[in-house]
Amino acid sequence: MRLAYKTDDDGPVSGEAAPVRASARLERLESESVYILRELAGFERPALLFSGGKDSAVLLHLAIKAFSPQKPPFKLLHIDTGHNFPEVLAFRDLRARQTGLQLIVREVEDSIRCGTVRLSPEKSRNAAQAVTLLEAQQEFEFDALIGGARRDEERARAKERVFSHRDAFGAWRPRAQRPELWGLFNRHIGVGEHMRVFPLSNWTEADVWAYIIQERIELPSLYYAHERDVVRRDGFLFPVTSLTPAADEAAVERISVRFRTVGDITGTCPVESEAGNAEQVLAETLTATISERGATRMDDRANSAAMERRKVEGYF
Amino acid sequence: MDGNVFALRADAETRQIRFMTAGSVDDGKSTLIGRLLLDSGVLMRDQADSIGDDEEHLAALTDGLEAERAQGITIDVAYRYFETPRASFIIADAPGHEQYTRNMVTAASASDVAVIVIDASRVVGGVLKRQTRRHAAIAALMGLDVIVAVNKMDLIGWSQERFNDIETAFADLAGALKLSGVVCVPVSARRGDNVVRRGGADWWRGPILVELIEQSQGPASRHEAPLRLPIQAALRDVTSRFYVGRIEAGSVRPGDHVVLGPQAYPATIASVRVGGRPVLRAEAGTSVAIEFDDERDVTRGDVVAAPGVRYARSVVADLCWLDEAPWTKGRRYLLRQGTLETQALIEEIAFVHDVEDFSRREGASSLSLNAIASVRLATRDPILADTFSQSPGTGAFALFDPQTNQTCAAGMIREAIT
Repeated sequence: MRLAYKTDDDGPVSGEAAPVRASARLERLESESVYILRELAGFERPALLFSGGKDSAVLLHLAIKAFSPQKPPFKLLHIDTGHNFPEVLAFRDLRARQTGLQLIVREVEDSIRCGTVRLSPEKSRNAAQAVTLLEAQQEFEFDALIGGARRDEERARAKERVFSHRDAFGAWRPRAQRPELWGLFNRHIGVGEHMRVFPLSNWTEADVWAYIIQERIELPSLYYAHERDVVRRDGFLFPVTSLTPAADEAAVERISVRFRTVGDITGTCPVESEAGNAEQVLAETLTATISERGATRMDDRANSAAMERRKVEGYF
Repeated sequence: MDGNVFALRADAETRQIRFMTAGSVDDGKSTLIGRLLLDSGVLMRDQADSIGDDEEHLAALTDGLEAERAQGITIDVAYRYFETPRASFIIADAPGHEQYTRNMVTAASASDVAVIVIDASRVVGGVLKRQTRRHAAIAALMGLDVIVAVNKMDLIGWSQERFNDIETAFADLAGALKLSGVVCVPVSARRGDNVVRRGGADWWRGPILVELIEQSQGPASRHEAPLRLPIQAALRDVTSRFYVGRIEAGSVRPGDHVVLGPQAYPATIASVRVGGRPVLRAEAGTSVAIEFDDERDVTRGDVVAAPGVRYARSVVADLCWLDEAPWTKGRRYLLRQGTLETQALIEEIAFVHDVEDFSRREGASSLSLNAIASVRLATRDPILADTFSQSPGTGAFALFDPQTNQTCAAGMIREAIT
């Protein structure tokens, strides 16, 4: 029973395109996010992490609203694992051009080349992003990095601040977090330190989809149902791509799927779906029985403390 | 009990309600949260698997960070989300053990309502636990409505008599704290009775827990208050200049006459925008961009207010000390009210509140972690003389330590000294 977004007939949300009203909750969430983004006006070198994924697309949309009629005072930063879906990268570049914001891309590949990242079979490129992210933060002396992470995503995120202070090593110290009172954010940082800022902290996956519908926010096509070759294993649907070829050709199926998150190709799995538009995705989201990250992120599933460890190391 | 407080809103729009939970592990707070998440269907299969099928392990759902588990303590407030057909909810889950005042103050500042969980089987002769008294005192201090979940009713055979005793004891406590609109509900978190679905005792005809939370009024009453719009930044395009901020109290319309800053310069609102689009009216909680009919010099920290607003350089406030480092006499702290930051000096500690027996200890000369005190505070720049009870959005402030950058106190203005 997850029906807080109601249709007109009061019944369960159907697969049909259901009209979703601008609800009081979306207005409250939008106002809160806009308020948080405007708190960044005093920072000298803030960057908004923009991957082309749905949360960052919503974040960019909110940033444009927050600073209208000016351009948001942010650069866009993407840490590219080198294993991203081409549709997502094309969307990323398109949005950067449309908004006129400078896009900075830093590659995990460069960190591997200069030796600061050494991959092992256990360490996915997704986790290695933390190193490259901190290198980019230092290179550009970013004093604030704005991300689309939500507290409902994962346990270690449930205690994250909206303004989350990072020391000069970029580390998150869960024990030393500053109390956050009444939205009176503490924006103070010392030399070499930076702030991670999460304007979507209080949004849920369903909120994000309802807002995408309300605001008609464009997303990469991967988020909607499409035919794709996959292999079923351990309850996941593994996409067959040039980076992740099928070991056994006979096991490959072509089915209708969509992605709930679009991270690194080698670590992100689609779910079976016929949802061809945002309304249908929301309807599926409201009846989903597996959490967003649980369904699609292999690296999180490995260990319930995985996210926390990566955050301590500087992961977003 | 004030009947209006829990009147159902007729509008079909779903609302977002933010509430906090207080209570010790023994009282079943974690089990109650697990129950809310499970029975409202928000707990997904993979998350349910990780805690096992056993109802008794519902509590494990709210287990915290690895760093906490390793040290066997709960450090911090966790935020959790669920929804019903009528509303969506954000729970600020404040752990009950160590540093509980700090955690509870933080959680309360993000909430409209407090759900206090008590273990019915452990209340003997109507005497409430010290911790329950503490939780109620902090809820009262922070201006929250209170719902009392009288838990573990199954362990006392759903005794109506014992529930009534607890209700009476809490009414006395609420009276002493001047808490209005307190309501008790008998529940069993373990069995799920009267949490999200009705059950347990047929004598209970009142609303169940989730209904009480749904019906709580929240911050809507702020709309009636005089306008307070702290300015975050100025934006401009070729022809116009916009001032942006979130309305903390009242509402604003084009044509409204307002005053700017402590000097109370009069101005007229020419336009109000929300999300880049002009609107006819915007209310408390809304982030807006406004234009004046005339060139104005307004910067971050200034407040656009209804005429009649008062400012002060000295206030009496309740202060909750939240930093590991104690207050240092004579030290200047940074005070943030709205979007203004200015230096502040605690001139005198009038008394320290004992939040368990509600006594006042005078003559205190120090403030350390978790202390709650009434202080006299002076500021370099004038601040809004709003009291917390009239205008929570601007009657509240935070203190930051200018050397360590830590957030060291939560403050609530009780009285302006003019």
